[in-house]
This record gives sequence, C-alpha cells and structure tokens, in this order.
Amino acid sequence: MTLKRTTIRVAAAGTAAALTLAACGSGSGGDDADGTATTPRNGGTLVFGENGQEPTCLDPHGNASSDGPVTTVPVADSLVWYAPGGEIQSWLADSWAVSDGGRTYTFKLRHGVKFHDGAEWNAVALKTNFEHMRDPATKSPLAASYIAPYEDSKVIDDHTLEVHLSSAYSPFLNVLAQGYLGMISPKQIKEAPQTICEKPIGSGPFILDKWTKGQSVTYHKNPDYDWAPKGAAHTGPAYLDKLEIRFLGEDATRYSALVSGEVHAIDFTPPQHVEEVKANPDLGFLSAIRPGHPMSFWLNTSRAPFDDVRVRQALLAAVDRKAIIEGISFGQYEVASGFVTSSTPDYARGLEGTITHDEAAANRLLDEAGWTAKGADGIRTKDGRRLVAYFPIDPSFPAQRMQIAVQTQAAAKRAGIDIQLQTPPTQEVSDRILAGDYDLSSGLWATNTADVLWIQYSSENITSGDRRGQNVARLKDAEVDRLVQEARETTDKAEQADLYNQVQARLIELVPAIPFYDDPRPVSYQKKVRGLSFTPAYPSPYFYDTWLDR
Amino acid sequence: MHGALRLVGWRLLTGLGVLWGAATLAFLVLHLTPGDQAQAIVGGENAAPTPEVIAQVTREYRLDEPWYVQYLLHLGRVVRGDLGTSYRLHTPVTQAIGEQAGATLELAAAAAVVALALSVVVALASAKRRRWVRGLASGSELVIASIPSFWLGILLLTVFSFGLRLFPATGSHGFQSLVLPALALALPIAGVLGHVLREALEEVLEEPFVISARTRGQGDMAVRLRHALRHALVPLITMTGYWVGALLGGAVITETLFTRQGIGRLLLGAVNAKDLPVVLGVVLLSAGIYVLVNLLVDLLYLVIDPRLRDAPAPAARTAVEGSA
Repeated sequence: MTLKRTTIRVAAAGTAAALTLAACGSGSGGDDADGTATTPRNGGTLVFGENGQEPTCLDPHGNASSDGPVTTVPVADSLVWYAPGGEIQSWLADSWAVSDGGRTYTFKLRHGVKFHDGAEWNAVALKTNFEHMRDPATKSPLAASYIAPYEDSKVIDDHTLEVHLSSAYSPFLNVLAQGYLGMISPKQIKEAPQTICEKPIGSGPFILDKWTKGQSVTYHKNPDYDWAPKGAAHTGPAYLDKLEIRFLGEDATRYSALVSGEVHAIDFTPPQHVEEVKANPDLGFLSAIRPGHPMSFWLNTSRAPFDDVRVRQALLAAVDRKAIIEGISFGQYEVASGFVTSSTPDYARGLEGTITHDEAAANRLLDEAGWTAKGADGIRTKDGRRLVAYFPIDPSFPAQRMQIAVQTQAAAKRAGIDIQLQTPPTQEVSDRILAGDYDLSSGLWATNTADVLWIQYSSENITSGDRRGQNVARLKDAEVDRLVQEARETTDKAEQADLYNQVQARLIELVPAIPFYDDPRPVSYQKKVRGLSFTPAYPSPYFYDTWLDR
Repeated sequence: MHGALRLVGWRLLTGLGVLWGAATLAFLVLHLTPGDQAQAIVGGENAAPTPEVIAQVTREYRLDEPWYVQYLLHLGRVVRGDLGTSYRLHTPVTQAIGEQAGATLELAAAAAVVALALSVVVALASAKRRRWVRGLASGSELVIASIPSFWLGILLLTVFSFGLRLFPATGSHGFQSLVLPALALALPIAGVLGHVLREALEEVLEEPFVISARTRGQGDMAVRLRHALRHALVPLITMTGYWVGALLGGAVITETLFTRQGIGRLLLGAVNAKDLPVVLGVVLLSAGIYVLVNLLVDLLYLVIDPRLRDAPAPAARTAVEGSA
C-alpha cells in the first residue's frame, strides 16, 4: 500500500514534466530500440473521448463544468502557468509584482501575442477580460467568484497593468492559472460578446472550428502560436493538425470506443477498467489527483444530530473508509487523509494517518453525547428521540457516491445511527441544500489552492439570502474563520503554509465532513498517442505537446 | 371531398388547443416543481455564482415576477412566433432546436422505416403458417418488445461494434453510425407492430372474400399482398400515435447511449436546468408533430377506406375502428 501511494503521488506531482519527457525524449531523433519514433511528428487528428459533463457554454468565464478547461484550454491561454507543487510561472504575463500588502498586482505582459482574430494581447486586453469575468451579463458561474476581490485596474503602459484588489487575496495567481480564467480576444468581448459561448476566440495553440452540441468540439492548429508556457515540453505551434473532443457520456461506451480504436484516448477511465488498461500492451494510462477538497460527505453542523461534535467524530470513526473506497473504486482511489487532497499546495503531510477507523471509539463518543439508550432496531435514542440523519442524494450524481452512501449507512447502523438515504429530484436536492434542510450532503471542490478551505469552511460562505456559499457543513468556528482568512491575506509563503497546516489539524478535530477519496483524473490512451499530459492548474488533458506516432 | 376539408379544419382547430394546453402544462410543471430557477440556470455542482450574477439572471429573465405574469410573457412571445433565447445555452431556441432536430428526425425516420418493414415482412411470412413458424415469430416479438431498449442498445453495441467492429459505437456522421441506433429504436416497436399486424392478417385471411380470391386461383402470396394486407394495415395505422410516441420517447435513451445529437438530450438538459424557453420550444414541436401525424392518419383512413369519404368528420375514426 505504501509503495502504491508513493508512486501515485509522484505521478500526480510530476505528470506534465515526466510524461512529456518520456514521450518526447531528448529530441536527438531517430527510432529507439523497440522501433517507435522518439522525435515528435507533425500532423494528424487526435480524437479524444470525454465524459458527459459537456459545458453549456464554451466561454471559459461562462462555465463551471468539470469539462470546461479540457475544451477551452486548447483555445485560450492563461495569464500564468501553475506548475505541479504550486509554483506559479510566466505565460501571457512575463512577470508580476505584488505590493500594498497583497492588494496590488502589477503584471508585465508578454509582447508579440496575437489572438486568433488578429487582436493584440496587451494591458487593455487583460483589463477587458477581468471586466468580462466580473460583468453580471456574462453570468459567470465560477470565474467571477474566483476573482471576487478584484476591484479595478489601471493601464500603466501598453504592456503593464496594475490590478487593485479590495482585500489581500493570496490565491489570486493560482486561480488565474485555471482554464476557467483563460484569456479571450478583447475584440470579441467588445464587438460580439454573444458569440463567445458558441465559439470563443483566444490566443491558444488551437483554433475552435465547430461545437456540435451533444457531440463534439473540433479544432485546428494555430500555425502562428509562439507563446507556449514554460511548463510545456516544446515551443512553437502544436504538433497535431486537428483535435476532436467527443462527449461520450456512457462509461461503457467511452471505454469500448478506446479499445475498438474509435478514439485515441479517453478521460475519466471507469475505475473498473483501469486494471484492464494497465494490462493491455496497446494502451497507456496516466492519472493526476485533482487539487482541492476530497470527495466528502458534509455533515450539517447547524442542526441536530450533527451539531454535536462528538456525534460527527463518532460517525467518522465508525466508517471504514479504506475498505469502502477500495471496494467502490476497484482499488483505484486514494483514501483522503484530511480536508485537502494530497496534490493541493500546503497539504499537511504530517497529519496523514490521524483519522482512524475505530468502532469502539465511535460507541464511546455516542455514549458520551448522551445517546445511550437503544431501540429494538439497534438505533440509539436520547430523551425518546431516535438518532436519525437525513441524506438527500441527487440521482444524477455518479453511482459510486450512492455505493459509498449505502456502505456508510451500514457502518453507521452498527454504531446505532440511522442514516436515511433519500433520492428526490435534482432540483429538490438543490433547494434543500440552499435551505439547509439536510444532515448529510456529498460533493468535492477542485481548485489549485488550499484556499478551498476558506471556500468550504469559512462562516462567510454559509448560504443565506442572496449569498450562495459552499460551506455546506454550515461550520461556524471562530478559529477556522481566523486561520483561513489570515492564510488568504498573507503574502508570506511560510506563514501561509503554517496557517493552512493549523486549519487542517483543526478540521480533523471538528469533523465537518467525512472525507472519502482524493479525486483522480484517470486518462487512458493508445500507445501511439505521445506527449499527452495534464495542465496541472485544474488537471485536465493538455494537447499542446501531444503527437501521433505511426 | 367536403367531408375531408371539414375534417382538416376541425383537426387544425383542436390542434391549436392541444398546443396551447401542452405549452401551459409544460410551464406549470416546470414552475411548480421544486428548485430555485436562478440557481438551476447558473448553479450546478461545480458552480459558485456571485450574488451579482444571481441578481442579473433573476432580472434578465424576470424570474421575480409572479407566475401568471411570467406565463403571459412566455405565451405572448410564443404567439408572436418568437421562441426566445435559451437561459442556459445563451443561443436562440430555434437555433438550439435546429441544430438537434435533423439528427433526431434522421434517427426516427430510419427507425420507422425499419420497424414498419420488419413487422410487415414477418407478419406476412408467419400469419396462418405452421405452428412452429408462428411460435418462433411471436416468441421473438414478445422478447424483443419486452427488452429494455437501453439493454438492447448495449447488446447491439457489444456484438456489432466492439465485437465484430462492423459499425461505429458513437456519433451521428452518415449511414454507418445510424445503423445500430436505428435498430435499437426500431426493434421493440417492430415487435409490437408485428404482433398486431399478424393478428389482423389472420382475421382477414378467414374472411369470405379471401376464400373467393383463392378459389379464383390466385397464389398464396398474391392473396396476402393484394387482398389481406390492405385490410390488416388499418389497425397498424390506428397505432400510429403509439409508435410515433415510442420513437420520440425512445430517442432520448438511444441518443444518450449512442452519444448522438438530438432533441431528446436537449430536452433532458433543459428540464434539469429549468430552461423554460427550450422546454417550451421542444414541447410545442412534439405536440405539433402529434397534431400533424393524427391529421395525416385521419386522411389516410379516407384513402384506405373509401366508405368514409362522405361520413361526418368526427365519426370517421370511430367508423374505421369499428370496421377493423
């Protein structure tokens, strides 16, 4: 187990670099021993099978789909590149300076970058993009909230923009590296904003040809591309002439399409097929753990029974997470060790192993909480009330979540907690979550910063009135609030790491959720596909360095 | 001919009523089902809309108006011939439907042809035949009609696409990719239609005029084709509503399984996101198709059974059903 953990983590951390290295070699040319070319070849069309989370809008700023970045990063470059491990590198910005206690960012922009429509990349273009993200008319479901502290910006010269934030916000550069905040032609934003959803125009290595809704997005190479990020394996235009991303929602169909050769590679390999892929000499496999919050069941801390921390601790101790996750993922997923995934910057490695499965402790905690009596059905009671928790699950969620829920229910029952699973329609679940009418709720949040802990657990982010927040656990803890706020404001990296370590330790005591697994992005491909990698900011397949071997 | 004109006029008039009813029901159902509309439009599992974005959506789509005002706004728009703009896709509804309609039409037409041809051939070949022939035909029909089309689709995919690699598993490009989805959609319908058709044929084959045709020395196939089939087709036509419905409904599953474009998937996404303009557009389109198909069926009766041409319009269908 330890060996496997390490290998996977290394793979996740070094995917982009390691994979492209392995595939593209030294560039010395010729064929290697087994007769496969090591020099990238130009040309060809890569057909990529994606899952069914097709975005409803291809404006990077106008979608929140997990398939957003995979479809928009080919078209739109970002201001900065996020390297595995958390280092921010230059891309469309050559350099930047942070001043005024973290409230002012001055970006020096790269020269010579052109959008596909000929528009020039400059300070005005960046300002226009920020304003487009913030414009309510864009109806941005994600980008706007990621740059919520953005106030305004000032054009210093043609290629220098000074950005003012309303409060210090240290994850600013991290989120700017995500595909959801890719840069769109200022000309399109000004002249034809209604066309961005359908056909975004960026400066990326691929130009979007056509989006056939419900089916595919097709692209062709941008021959003028000469501003690849440092994290890429080569410079100049992409190797592929064309790219087609097909949405194959059914897991079985997608996997079979890969095996039968209809597509070259697929995203989100169904876990039950991963071992088959690894055993198949014609197929390759690569995976990255998504940074952010692990897939978890949030416990509603604002009402009984989970308002009592001992009941939450008891449930966490009662559940054998390792056995459940091994079972539902066919041994493919990593059990979460805390409240951020292992690939997130400032992940508290020292806390690994703190959460343990201990049924005796679970029973003891419930006794201490006063749930001492037991009914005929084995469910604990207190003052005549049964220990019941309601769990509405969206029927459109992946089947694995239901499997985890059912097994959690069984473990809870052994400890004397009755978890009632409910499957109302999607919209009713969403209504109940907004209204706080649930005891458990499932989800994860992928983002490349430990600020995910502010998003999920700051009491500012409890939904109320117009404010829709992600604090689904409805946790209100003064210490967590202070730590996440200080961490997002400080510009001192070491202090930030220390603060995030403290929050992670505090959360393991508070148990606002049962963290289950670190969500991976498992990609399988035919061996003739070379140089396929991930953009590490929001791990999604990256096709710029990809080429097709004979 | 006067009767036919009256029939068309009457049907068109009631058709308008059907369209209005369908639009109203769609609006009410979407409005009364739980779910915050603004949240449904810009929400979702990975979304974190800011209060400004929620406010914009609410204002732009007038979601803060009382339900009857919203209803009248939508109805007024539709009456003026404007289907509006999709909340979710940010494109005109006519465009959204236009992009998808061709694929569904292609699939439905192919499946209809296959289902009809298959059921007619099997019924003609097996009606009033030896026991084992009938048993085999009706047994397979029963099995095929009872298989969930989802499973049937996977079966077809496994055998013909992944196993024999004869046809592609996905997409909607050209004839090759149409074969398997059309079969998956057509087979269950063919099972039902074939069964009905054979029953009808067997009844007709007992009729005196069939015996007299035989005594005139006509061959068996000629009797079946020239005399019996025409009569047996009437119940098939009466069932048009059923199979058009099965085609439209089955398209949702088939399109999802084979990852084809289509109206079914468009509607599914729109209902989940409470995208009212798209839902109204698709509902009006399908209701319109039903109205037209039923009108065609009524006219077909007149062609098949000349006795009805001078009958009063509303009585036409009952007369036919009675005679069948």
